[in-house]
Amino acid sequence: MEKVIIIRYAEIHLKGKNRSYFERALATNLEKSLKGLRHELHRMSGRWLVAAFDEARTEEICERVGKVFGVHSYSVGLLTGSGMDDIFRAALAVAPEEGTFKVETHRAYKNYPLTSMEVSAELGGRLLAARKKLKVDVHTPQNVVYVDVRENGSALVFCKFLRGAGGMPVSTSGKGLLLISGGIDSPVAGYMMAKRGLTVELLHFHSYPYTNEGAKEKVVTLAKLLSPYTQVTRLSTVSVTHIQEAIHKTCAAELNVTLLRRFMFRIAERFALERELKCLVTGESLGQVASQTIEGMTSSNAVVTLPVLRPLVGFDKEEIIDRAKEIGTFETSILPYEDCCTVFLPEFPAIKPKLSYIEEEEKKLDVPALVEEAMGTVETIDL
Amino acid sequence: MIYLDNAATTRPDGRALGAALSFTEEQYYNPSAGYAGGAAVRSAVERARASLLAHIANEKFALVFTSGGTESDNLAIFSSAKRGNAVTTAGEHAAVEKSFAALRARGIETRVAPLLGDGRVDADALLSLVDEKTTLVSVVHVGSETGAVNEIAALARAVKKKNPRCIFHSDGVQAFGKIPFRLTDEIDLYSVSAHKIGGLKGSGALYRRRSLHTEAQIFGGGQESGLRSGTENVLGILAFAGAAEDKFRTLREDYDRLRAYHDELFAALDASIFTRLSARDGSPYILTVGGRGLRGEVLVRMLWDRGVVVGTGSACSSKHPRSRALEACGVEDGLLDGVLRFSFAPQTSREEIVSAAKALNDCAHEFLSKV
Repeated sequence: MEKVIIIRYAEIHLKGKNRSYFERALATNLEKSLKGLRHELHRMSGRWLVAAFDEARTEEICERVGKVFGVHSYSVGLLTGSGMDDIFRAALAVAPEEGTFKVETHRAYKNYPLTSMEVSAELGGRLLAARKKLKVDVHTPQNVVYVDVRENGSALVFCKFLRGAGGMPVSTSGKGLLLISGGIDSPVAGYMMAKRGLTVELLHFHSYPYTNEGAKEKVVTLAKLLSPYTQVTRLSTVSVTHIQEAIHKTCAAELNVTLLRRFMFRIAERFALERELKCLVTGESLGQVASQTIEGMTSSNAVVTLPVLRPLVGFDKEEIIDRAKEIGTFETSILPYEDCCTVFLPEFPAIKPKLSYIEEEEKKLDVPALVEEAMGTVETIDL
Repeated sequence: MIYLDNAATTRPDGRALGAALSFTEEQYYNPSAGYAGGAAVRSAVERARASLLAHIANEKFALVFTSGGTESDNLAIFSSAKRGNAVTTAGEHAAVEKSFAALRARGIETRVAPLLGDGRVDADALLSLVDEKTTLVSVVHVGSETGAVNEIAALARAVKKKNPRCIFHSDGVQAFGKIPFRLTDEIDLYSVSAHKIGGLKGSGALYRRRSLHTEAQIFGGGQESGLRSGTENVLGILAFAGAAEDKFRTLREDYDRLRAYHDELFAALDASIFTRLSARDGSPYILTVGGRGLRGEVLVRMLWDRGVVVGTGSACSSKHPRSRALEACGVEDGLLDGVLRFSFAPQTSREEIVSAAKALNDCAHEFLSKV
């Protein structure tokens, strides 16, 4: 009898020929997330089993497994022999001391001498005899003892299904680039795309000395908080200081933010193409701020050819905040470090600028030279 | 590196720290212990106390070691203002300002005296706020942003004349070891901090008139005559006393020399950009300037990159409050975003002053050319 963690994945994604590809990706990601903790990962049809781990660290392992996308649910249970006595010993170890319960049996091994119903009945009877304070209730039990009779003489016994992070294993949808600020939205956007199987590399724009070191440390912290989900352990930064200064000096103040965003998109695309990342991801939500209008998004999209994914586009701020709290980035996101100095913020930003007007203003700048210069400021931090 | 942010904190005094450290490495006993080792540490702490007392106080004063200026202010304020009303100024450090806010929450009426244009408290206004129900008056000695020096001896005398029973406290964190001064009979409580004069962070003291009843805010083993429980921060205390000895030995010469540097620094700044915001006849240790069209926080980082460390009274965002004290003494709006504070130490050299002025002018010109 051995303590194991049973990991189930959502089979709906795994139909057909791609199944083993998804399974392998999930295993790779589970291995990454459990790095540094002693364990073995075994395959059992339709499941992964974490075994041979230090039982004192069960909770830590569960916490990490709970953040791996592609895991539908998981359980802490016991792996034992498929004989009735073995199953009973395991059931005694996981069953509660009192309250109502039922036994639910699943038989993958169809040649097992007893039917599922018979296993449940037999085991229920033995548990009742052993624990006087237990009562059977097959309709609304307080506890369920699950028995999963596997092939090759083994069985799994457990009591609870814990909800996994869902989604698809990171990397199975390719790679993209998240434009990460220090705010609430972009980490959530990264989380959501990682959930759909995208590997999201991170790029942060700063304008030191107009922004401070605290703002950068905050982004590093956010990136670290994201990495159990995204499994990405590096963050790149790029300076847009000179671009902001040039825009501020040369162009209409109301377009400051619009023009800066076009530069950010150009830089992000250059960065992405150099690293074979196939899309850009932003935390934009329609109408949230002046630059996040259809016109603003159109203007940014116009300077890139890679698809721009905006998973939060239809979310309310409240919904984004709830999500940020769930994944644990909210507290860091609201720390008071500015990612933009007020000196560059126009009093009245253009809300619906026409593309022709934007392009006209932008002609006053040496765009390629500014982008080239910014690319030279890229720094990559290992988290 | 040119370090001109000494009002924020100072580099520890190497001699004092070395002596304190080698003592505590050998004599690490708990000062409350009943064996000889404990007694040796106890007497070292008492020597430090006597030495710190002698610098500014006569035998009518005692001294409580605390964790720093903030704790000293809290102890002074919450021990003194139990009923009636409490009076302070608009130029206080947050440790006093927020303690007064807490008094308000406890139902004590608080009154705040306005500042004059030079940053000192308006003495007439302050006195008019004091009445027979006033239990505490707290006036900062040297404003941390304005450098303004309040004549606390005279203010205390005038306050006591109006209400002899009220307690007079002063936050002396930016004055102690810097401004020639001794505690007078009318001052009851005086807060000081070690790390502003070459001591260690986490160490400070409250001078208190012996005859004054002070109520502990921290309870436990009864150290510091029951006024501040907790095992004494022996390293901090010894380093504090040692650093203070060094400072007081040359206090007068330093004061005069820094007065000259202070004026020289300001004179070297581009007059078309910078306005002096700190008081001309205030503490020579603090020069605060406002730069028209500048952002203090950005300039601080530009200067850091050039190896010059200064402080700011303001932040580059609408979300951050501007300097309360500077607003309170009527500094015009256009200057409040571009506030920079130079603060000196006895080891500040003339060459550093000259280089810092040049660096600031360069940074300001660069900033203005870009934004």
